[in-house]
Amino acid sequence: MSIAPQLLRGPSLMAEILLSEAEKAFIHHGDDLRCDGRTRLDYRPIILETGLVSNASGSSRLRLANSDVLVGVKVELASPLSEKPLEGRLEFFVDCSANATPEFEGRGGEDLANEICRFLQMSYMSGDTINLSELSVLAGQQCWVLYVDILILECGGNLYDTVSLAVKSALYTTQIPSIKVATMDGDQPELELSEDPYDTKRLNTQNVPCLVTLMKIGNHYLVDPTPEEECCSSSGVVVAVSGSKKITAVRKIGSGSLHPESLVSMLKTASEVGAVVNKILMKKLLEEETAGKTQKVGFMR
Amino acid sequence: MDMLTSKIFLRKTKRGKVLKVVREHYLRDDLWCGSDLCKKCNQENSEVLDDAPLSSSTLCACPHYVVVDTNVVLHQIDVLESPAWKNVIVLQTVLEETRKRSTNNFKKLKEIMATRKDNFYVFVNEHHKDTYVERNPGESANDRNDRAIRKACSWYQTHLEESQQGRDKKKKIQIILLTQDFKNREQALKEGIPAYKVDEYVKSLKDFPDLQEKLAASHSEDNAENREPLFPEHWAPTRIMTGIKSGKLLQGIFHCSRENFLEGSVSVEGQDKSILLQGHASLNRAVDGDIVAVELLPEDKWTSPSGIVLEDQEDQDPGDQIEKEEALLSNSAKGKDRQPTGKVVGIIRRKWRQYCGILLPSVLAEGTRHLFVPAERKIPKIRIETRQAATLSSQKIIVAIDSWPRTSRYPLGHFVRALGNIGDKDTENEVLLLEHDVPHHSFPETVLACLPSMPWTISQEEVKRREDLRNLDICSVDPPGCTDIDDALHFRELSPNLYEIGVHIADVSHFVRPDTALDKEAANRGTTVYLVDRRIDMVPELLSSNLCSLRPDQERLAFSVIWEVTPNAEIKKTRFTKSVIRSRRAFTYAEAQCSIDDPLQQNELAKSLRGLNKLAKIMKKNRMDKGALQLSSPEIRFEVSTETNDPIDVISKPMLDTNSMVEEFMLLANISVAEHIFKHFPECAVLRRHPVPPESNFEPFLKAGKTQGFTLDVSSNKALAASLDAAVKPDNVYMNTMLRILATRCMMQAVYFSSGTVAPVDFYHYGLAAPIILISHLPFAGLYADLLVHRLLAVAIGADVTYADLLDRKCVQQLCNNLNYRHKMSQYAQRSSVALHTHLFFRHRVQDEDAYVLSVRQNALQVLIPKYGLEGSIYLKEKDEDSKPAFIYNPDVPSQTCGNITIRTFDRIVVQVSLDSKYVQHQKIAVHLVQPQIAGLSVEAIKTVNDSEPIPKKLKAGK
Repeated sequence: MSIAPQLLRGPSLMAEILLSEAEKAFIHHGDDLRCDGRTRLDYRPIILETGLVSNASGSSRLRLANSDVLVGVKVELASPLSEKPLEGRLEFFVDCSANATPEFEGRGGEDLANEICRFLQMSYMSGDTINLSELSVLAGQQCWVLYVDILILECGGNLYDTVSLAVKSALYTTQIPSIKVATMDGDQPELELSEDPYDTKRLNTQNVPCLVTLMKIGNHYLVDPTPEEECCSSSGVVVAVSGSKKITAVRKIGSGSLHPESLVSMLKTASEVGAVVNKILMKKLLEEETAGKTQKVGFMR
Repeated sequence: MDMLTSKIFLRKTKRGKVLKVVREHYLRDDLWCGSDLCKKCNQENSEVLDDAPLSSSTLCACPHYVVVDTNVVLHQIDVLESPAWKNVIVLQTVLEETRKRSTNNFKKLKEIMATRKDNFYVFVNEHHKDTYVERNPGESANDRNDRAIRKACSWYQTHLEESQQGRDKKKKIQIILLTQDFKNREQALKEGIPAYKVDEYVKSLKDFPDLQEKLAASHSEDNAENREPLFPEHWAPTRIMTGIKSGKLLQGIFHCSRENFLEGSVSVEGQDKSILLQGHASLNRAVDGDIVAVELLPEDKWTSPSGIVLEDQEDQDPGDQIEKEEALLSNSAKGKDRQPTGKVVGIIRRKWRQYCGILLPSVLAEGTRHLFVPAERKIPKIRIETRQAATLSSQKIIVAIDSWPRTSRYPLGHFVRALGNIGDKDTENEVLLLEHDVPHHSFPETVLACLPSMPWTISQEEVKRREDLRNLDICSVDPPGCTDIDDALHFRELSPNLYEIGVHIADVSHFVRPDTALDKEAANRGTTVYLVDRRIDMVPELLSSNLCSLRPDQERLAFSVIWEVTPNAEIKKTRFTKSVIRSRRAFTYAEAQCSIDDPLQQNELAKSLRGLNKLAKIMKKNRMDKGALQLSSPEIRFEVSTETNDPIDVISKPMLDTNSMVEEFMLLANISVAEHIFKHFPECAVLRRHPVPPESNFEPFLKAGKTQGFTLDVSSNKALAASLDAAVKPDNVYMNTMLRILATRCMMQAVYFSSGTVAPVDFYHYGLAAPIILISHLPFAGLYADLLVHRLLAVAIGADVTYADLLDRKCVQQLCNNLNYRHKMSQYAQRSSVALHTHLFFRHRVQDEDAYVLSVRQNALQVLIPKYGLEGSIYLKEKDEDSKPAFIYNPDVPSQTCGNITIRTFDRIVVQVSLDSKYVQHQKIAVHLVQPQIAGLSVEAIKTVNDSEPIPKKLKAGK
C-alpha cells in the first residue's frame, strides 16, 4: 500500500482530487464526525440570493460551501405539445462553465450537464411537483414555457443538491406576466399583455422537489458530500424529494453496488432529509421576500 | 440613496414573443429648480421662474408657480398659448406622456416653450433623486405619473420653503397644480398641494378675460390606450372551408372601389352580380386583389353603391381609430338598385405584393412610426416604422405589408427600398413599371447569346426555302417615329376582276426558337409595353427594331398571307407562305393618306394604297353590317420636347382612313390565320375571344342613355351598334363619343385562350363581330401570342417542325394566362404613363378646357376632358365644409341642381385644369369648374377658351 497521495475521481465525473491515505482512511472509517466537523446528515452552510438577474423572469444564485450555481428562468410563449395541449412546460439547460474546473473546457462539461438536465427533467415529471396546467394560456394553442438556465460557476461537491435548490428558488421568484386572449382572428389568437409590470402570477413551488444526494462510504451513508468524500465513495443515490416528502425520482450514481436493504434505508433517510431541506428553503425564501427590497449583494462580496 | 435604478417593463414583439425589458435609469443630484429666489440650487443666472411673481388670479391670490398636469396639455393646449401664462413648470413626466399620447400636442407644446423660454421651465423630475418615483405594484402607469407630478409639486414646495423662510406668509410662493383629472386633484389636496381645475383657474385670471373662450369643452378622461379591436375577427380556415362547402359563404376576389375607399365588391365565379361590401367592418381588412370569404347579409340589409366619391384623406396618422363612417356611407339609396351585400369573414389568400408610394409627412419628424400612401388608390395606407423618414419623405419608396391586426386602423408594413426623388420622370416611370409588374430589366447574357451575330444577311439556303417576294411593291404604314415596323402590305391587279393583296408580317419565329433562353424571356414578358416616352421590348432591340422591323429597301424575312379578291372584296383564295421581302417605303399614316388623296401621284405605291383603301372600306362596311361595334376610348399623344424629354403639347390621335385600312387588313389576316390553324390544330390553337358581356354590365350605360332620352338596345352587338349610331344629338356632337366611351367600359376584357379549353360556341368576338380571331387590331410582333401563332402556322403549312409544348393544350393555356395578365398590365401601364405625362404637362400650366360630365355623383361630378383624355372629379361638397354652395342631388336623373343651374350626365362644361401642388409629395391634377358659373364653387376663367362655342343657354337656365 503506497502512502503517496492518489489522484482520485468522484462518481459525479468531477475533477480529480489529491487525497492522502490518511484522509481516505478517516473518511472511510471515521465515526459520525466528518473532516469539517459535520455529522453524516449535516449540510454545509448555504448562501442564497434571488432576483440577481433583472432581465430574467426569476433568478437565484446559490452557494453551497464551494459549489456555486446561478439560475435564471425565462418565460416565453410557445405552442403546447400536442400530447399535452392543456399544459405548459419546463425546459432545463445546464451550462458547466470552464470557470468551475478546467476539465469543463470545450465540451468537457457536456456529459455532466446532460446528466443533471435529464435528472431534473425526470424529477419534475411527476404530476405532484408542479402544476403545469397553470402555464396554459390558450388550450392547445399557447402556453408558457419556462426556460431554466443553470450556470455552474464552481464545483465544490454535491452539485445535484446545489442545482436543485437554486432551481427551486429561481422558480419561486419567477414572475409570469398576466396575459389574456383579447381577440381571435382567423384562428390566430391575439394576445394582450398586461400593461402593469407588477401584474404577474407566481407558480406554486411548494412541492417542487429538492435533490438529496446520499453517498455510501463504508457501511454508512452521508449527505452533502465534499469532493473528497465523493472520491472515496463507490456508489450512492440521488433522490428527488418533494415538499410533501414524496420521492419523485431516484438515480444511482457511481460504479459500486448497493444492497437492497441499505437502499431502502437510504431512500427513507433521503425523504426525511429532503422534507427538512424543503421546509427550510421555503422559509428562507419567504423571509427574503417579506424583507422587501434590499441591497443586492451579487458577486461583489 | 442609490442613484441607479432600473425601469422594467414587458413588451410583446411583432412575432408574439414576450420580452422583459430592463432599462437603467440614473438619478442625479444636480438638477436645479429654476427659481430665482432659490439659494440652494447651484444654477447659473438663467432662472426662468420669477423671484416674486404677480398673481392675476382671483382664485389664488398669493404669488405662485404653476405646474400643469398632462391632461391640461392634452386638452387645453390652445389655452397654454396665451401670454397669460408665466412661471409655469413643465415636468418631464408631463412632456413624455404628452409625447406618447399626442404627437401633435407635443409639438405644439415644444413650440410654445421655445417661443416663450422666459415663462416655461422644464423640470427633469424623472431624473431628480428626490422626485423620481417607482411604480408600485397594482398601480397603473397613469396613476404612477400622477403621483410623480404630485411628488414634484410637494418637493418644490419644501425646496422653496427653505429659501424663503424669512418671508411674509402672504408673499411666500406657492406651487399650484392645474389639472382636469378629478382624482388627481382630490389626491393633491389631500397631500396639501393646492390644486385647481384648469377651467376654474383660467376663468379667474382677471387680466385675461378672453382666455376662457379658448377653453376646450372639458373632455371626459379619454382612454388613449384604446386597444379594443377595430375589426371583426376572421374565421378559422376550417370554419371557412366548411362554410364554402355548405354554400353559406362565397369565395371571390375582392376589388376595392376606385372612388370610395370604404366600398368594394367581391366577384364570385359563376355569379352575374358581384357582392357589394360597405364600411370598415364589412371590408374587414381585405386588400384589393385578396381572395376572400364573404357572408351574404339578409336581403333586407342589402344596399346599393353609395353615390359619393370618397378618399381616405387623413393628412396625419389618426391613430388606431376608425372615423365615424355613417356620414360617409349613409345616403346609399335604399329601395331599388339594391345589390347583394355582404361582409368579409375571412381571407383565403392574401395577394399582397410590394407597393410603391410615398410617406405621409409626419408631425413629428423624429418619430419612427409613419404612414405610407401607396400610388395605387385602391390600396389602403400602410403604417411602417422607419428612422429615416426625413430622407425618405422626398422619395418614392417601396413598402411591403406584413400584417393587419384587428386592433390596427391600417395594415402594418416595412420599408423595402427607395426608388428616387418624387417627380423625377425616371423614378415615376420606374414606379409605374413596378406597379404594373412589367419586367423591364435589361436582357441577360444568356438571352443576348441567342441573337444572330451582326452584320446579318439572308443566306442563300434561307432564300431557297422561302418564297421570293422581293419583286413586289410592298410598303408599310405606321405611326410616325415607329421603329418596330412589323407589318407591310401590297396590292396588285392580276386581272381587271381579280386583285392580289398581301399582308407581310415580320418573321420573329425565325429568330426566336422554341425552348431557348430568348424564348423563355419573351414568354415571361408576354408583350411589348409602349409607354409615352419609352418602349419596353419583349425581345431585344436588335430584333424588334432591326431584324424584325420591315425597314424600307432592306431584305427581311417575313410571313405572308396572300389573298386573291374580287373588286367587291370577296375572297377567292387564301394562302400562307414564308417569304423574303423588300419594302419599298415606310409610310406614316398621314403620308399614306396624302398619297391616296393626291391625284397627281400616279406611282405604283400610290395606286396600291388606293386599291387597298377601296377594298378596306368595303370590308369594313360588311363587318359593320354584321354588327361590329365602333367603340371609343380617348387616345392622345404627347409632343415631347427633344431636349428635356418633357411633354410640351398634347394632340389627340387623329383617325385617318389609312388607320382603319391597316387595321382592316390586319383583322383580315388574323381571321384567315385563325381559321387555318384552328382547322389544323383544333385542340391547341392560340386564339383570342371577346366574350359577350352579361346584361348587368350595361346598367350604368343604359341609365346614362336614358337621361339623354335614348333607349339603347343591348340585346346583341348588332342592336347595340345600331342604337349607338342612332343616338346622336345635333347640339352636342361629343355626346355620341361619350356614349361609346361608356359602352367600351361595359365590355369584357378580350382574352387569349387555347382552343382546346373553350367550347367553339364561345369563340365569337363580340366587339369585332368576327367568328374567330387571333388578335384584335394590334400589330403582330409585339406579343408572344403571335409567336405561338407563327409557329403553329409554320407547322400547318409545312415550313417548320412542331415541338411537344406547342401542342399541349394545358401548356398553351398556361402561357395564355400569363399573356392575358401581362397584356392587361401593359395596358394599365400605358394608361398610367399617359397620366404621368399629363402631370408633367400641367406642372407649369393652368388651362381652361372643355369637359363633359361622365357621371353625376352625390357629392361630385366625374368629368372627362377629351383633349387630354383626362378624367377628374369636381367635389361639390366636402366632409367638413359649409362654404360651398348647396347642391341638390336628384338620384333618379341623376342631376345636381344649384339655384337655377342643373348639371346632368353628358353636359358640356368648362373646367380649369391645374396641378395641385399643395403637397409636394402628392401632386395631383386638380379640376375646377369654370362654367357654368356658380358662386363659391367655380373659379375665374384664366383666358377665353379657344375654339369653343359658348355654353348652350338651356344648361344655364335649367329645366
